[in-house]
Amino acid sequence: MTAELYVFAAAAVFGIGVHGLLIARHLMRKLLAVNLMLSAVFLLLLLFSTPIGGKPDPIPQALVLTGIVIAVSSTAFALALMVRLFRLSGRATLPRFEPDDD
Amino acid sequence: MTNALAGVVFVPMAALFAVILLPSRYSRAVAIAGLLLWPIFLIPLTAMVRAEGAVTLALGNWPVPLGIGWRVDGLTVVTLWLNAAVALAGTVRAAGFFDPERHGARTYWPLWLLLVTATNAALVSADLFNLYVGLELITLVSVALIATADNVPALRAAMRYLLLGMLGSLFYLLGVGMVYGQTGSLALAVPAGGAALDSTALVLMLTGLMVKAAVFPLHVWLPDSYGQAPGPVGALLAAVAGKVALVALWRIWFLFAPDDTALPWLIGALGSAAVVYGSLAAMVQTRLKRVVAYSSVAQVGFLLMVVPLASPAAFQGAGFHLLVHGFAKAAMFLAAANILIALGTDAVGRLSGLDKRMPLEAFTLALAGVTLVGLPPTGGFIGKWKLLEVAWQQAGWAWLITILLSGLLSAAYVFRILAMTCFHPRHSGSRAVPRKPPLAASLAALLLALCGVVIGMFPGPVLRLLALAAPGGVS
Amino acid sequence: MIGTLAVDLLLVSILIGLAWQVVRGRVLFRAIVFFVAFGLIMAMIWGRLGVPDLALAEAAIGAGLTGALMLGAFRRLVEIDARQAVSGGLRPSPRLSLLLSLLAGLLVAVLGLAGLELRGGSGEAGRAALDSLHLTGLGNPVSAVLLLFRGLDTVFEMLVLLGAFLGARHVAERDRRSGAAIASHRLPMVGALQMTVVPLALVVALHLLRAGANDPGGAFQAGAVLAAGGVLLTLTGRVVPQAQAGLLTRFSLIFGTLMLAGSGIVPLIYGGVLMAPPGKTAIYAIEAAMMVSIGVTLSLLFSASAGLRAVRS
Repeated sequence: MTAELYVFAAAAVFGIGVHGLLIARHLMRKLLAVNLMLSAVFLLLLLFSTPIGGKPDPIPQALVLTGIVIAVSSTAFALALMVRLFRLSGRATLPRFEPDDD
Repeated sequence: MTNALAGVVFVPMAALFAVILLPSRYSRAVAIAGLLLWPIFLIPLTAMVRAEGAVTLALGNWPVPLGIGWRVDGLTVVTLWLNAAVALAGTVRAAGFFDPERHGARTYWPLWLLLVTATNAALVSADLFNLYVGLELITLVSVALIATADNVPALRAAMRYLLLGMLGSLFYLLGVGMVYGQTGSLALAVPAGGAALDSTALVLMLTGLMVKAAVFPLHVWLPDSYGQAPGPVGALLAAVAGKVALVALWRIWFLFAPDDTALPWLIGALGSAAVVYGSLAAMVQTRLKRVVAYSSVAQVGFLLMVVPLASPAAFQGAGFHLLVHGFAKAAMFLAAANILIALGTDAVGRLSGLDKRMPLEAFTLALAGVTLVGLPPTGGFIGKWKLLEVAWQQAGWAWLITILLSGLLSAAYVFRILAMTCFHPRHSGSRAVPRKPPLAASLAALLLALCGVVIGMFPGPVLRLLALAAPGGVS
Repeated sequence: MIGTLAVDLLLVSILIGLAWQVVRGRVLFRAIVFFVAFGLIMAMIWGRLGVPDLALAEAAIGAGLTGALMLGAFRRLVEIDARQAVSGGLRPSPRLSLLLSLLAGLLVAVLGLAGLELRGGSGEAGRAALDSLHLTGLGNPVSAVLLLFRGLDTVFEMLVLLGAFLGARHVAERDRRSGAAIASHRLPMVGALQMTVVPLALVVALHLLRAGANDPGGAFQAGAVLAAGGVLLTLTGRVVPQAQAGLLTRFSLIFGTLMLAGSGIVPLIYGGVLMAPPGKTAIYAIEAAMMVSIGVTLSLLFSASAGLRAVRS
């Protein structure tokens, strides 16, 4: 019961994150949305494991902890990129994606 | 034995630490020393793989589902050698960019060494989560290296790559979580007890990897990223770092794929689409680096042919192709970088008379191009031929046509470049070469291209190594 | 039974509500603040699910430091160009985007339920971890997994942090250093705050480090709390960003990884095993080094500088 409820929560947060990613133009908002999605995935990662003899499985915990550190690292770097891009281009947004030659 | 394996991962790491700690005037020298030192450990490692087929190691002696395992087989060794060669060649070129006094040297060399460390670690890893961490590090450092170009298009390309990379990781991670929940093990090995892995988990992991490997239609980040990256960075990314995700895809596929689904067909179809799309797009690009970038998209599609054609011979062909194309692509990126610095542009239309102005670069492009097309006696021929053979034997007509198409289409875009640069009768530009690249940089590119050709002439040792590489599940 | 369900429902609804605010909030600054709150609720959920190590990490790193980094970056944007900094906020949400997100949410729900179904695998690795715990000298199984059983993951995780620093440093290097202080430590209230909180952060960090061996805690959580102290010092101007990283700074950036990787390599010299488990004192030393590295790296990522220099007060 609890697990299903939290799966639903993770799914909802993930969906909201996707929504945020799609409607946001500002890079920081995109980053916020991606971080929401990451949190949802971490939650699912832990929910997918079963307790062992009453104690929670330590392996997924270690995996999620590693994931949190990697997420903050990526976010920190992305923020620095965004600031530099803003300084050089005057905008913190990505123009509409044009996948052909410049 | 362990020392050789440890050296491959920890020596570049040690060089990284040394570069950070020592004063910046030593950065370049220490980096070069580190990049020359670690391949030495490949020699005993190669010998061991030749003798035993594959070398495994359980880190810390913890038995594998508990601890992390390493596994080195013929394909790993071949890719590691490629990494060694391209990293060194790229260093020769990069050394010109980042002399120690110039800003950015303090962070460039550590990033470069970090990329090599991460690539090596990811290639030898036999653990699904360890692979995740390695791929994350590769993505992060690749983005950082692309951003060293420090102009708006490059920063935008880097940002897109980072965002899409993070999305890919989400999928992969979700898949890994499901795998652990189902099997209790993160080992990249045949599932214990023979129970098949649930397809959902597999598809999730493969999707994530396809984003990172730039498989059509999830390739959208690649052309801009590789096109904007500085030459040495593009070379290393296209040849090796970008291929780690693809190699991981192969391994995961062959270990975990269920027997009777439409999945091999689907993946093969995506590969074919990638070949066609990438090649056609390469034909219309105006900038040299972007031609090579789209050629990479096509190449990834080609390499996916090994999924529907699962057989040891197909694996051999694909591995050989990976090696040879790695050399060719890296050579082209380095040559393109030299051209860009020297002439101020890499727009193909403005490069006519290249054979007179920069003969070394022109020759490099020609050699690498012919290797990409797959003409004998270059190495490109052997990889394609092996896969063709297998497709014929298995009557996989769709794949046969794809392989033939890839040859024809790549001929189209390669000869277009050569025609516009070397064989064009009318010289539209001046004969001047404003900033000639250092001879070492030109030779580095040429040497890589030559490797692609020479390996084609003496393919035996590599083929023998790769024959032992077919993972479990490939009958 | 009803009690716990009520708590869960409350947590879940607050979580979803906060997520919605993050994404739909018109003001970017508020979106960031809601994100921090989101992180804190996540921490509570981790606690509710019985994984306190994750709760600590989420609160300190996921909510606290990520929020600080975002606010810091936001401030830098505003300093460069206040009007453009928040422009281009939200596209009007066409129905397509809502549909796609609904589909994504549904997909994840299905995947999540499927994942729950598939559970009941042996949990082999976890079982082995708990069984082998007594061999490690540690009482906290998560710490054992991070440092010993899967130590290589941690080495590379630290390298990811280093890579982020190097990358961020490279792109920021040419930028004029912005004054990072927003409220001088010379002001009475600010000074008092800083003089209370920073030593407290140090004590808490050391406690988390010490406790991590047998109880929830560990180097990552400790390092994050240290970084929080660093953030406060930077914000109050007690330390000032520097353009060059001195040897001590550079050493502290790699200290943790050096110790962890070094402890894995050194046994090879004696004919031992790669990444062999070190003894208990060695583990403490490694964790202390990691705490320092994590704290320094995150602080420098916040101040967007290569170093920090204390200011005579």
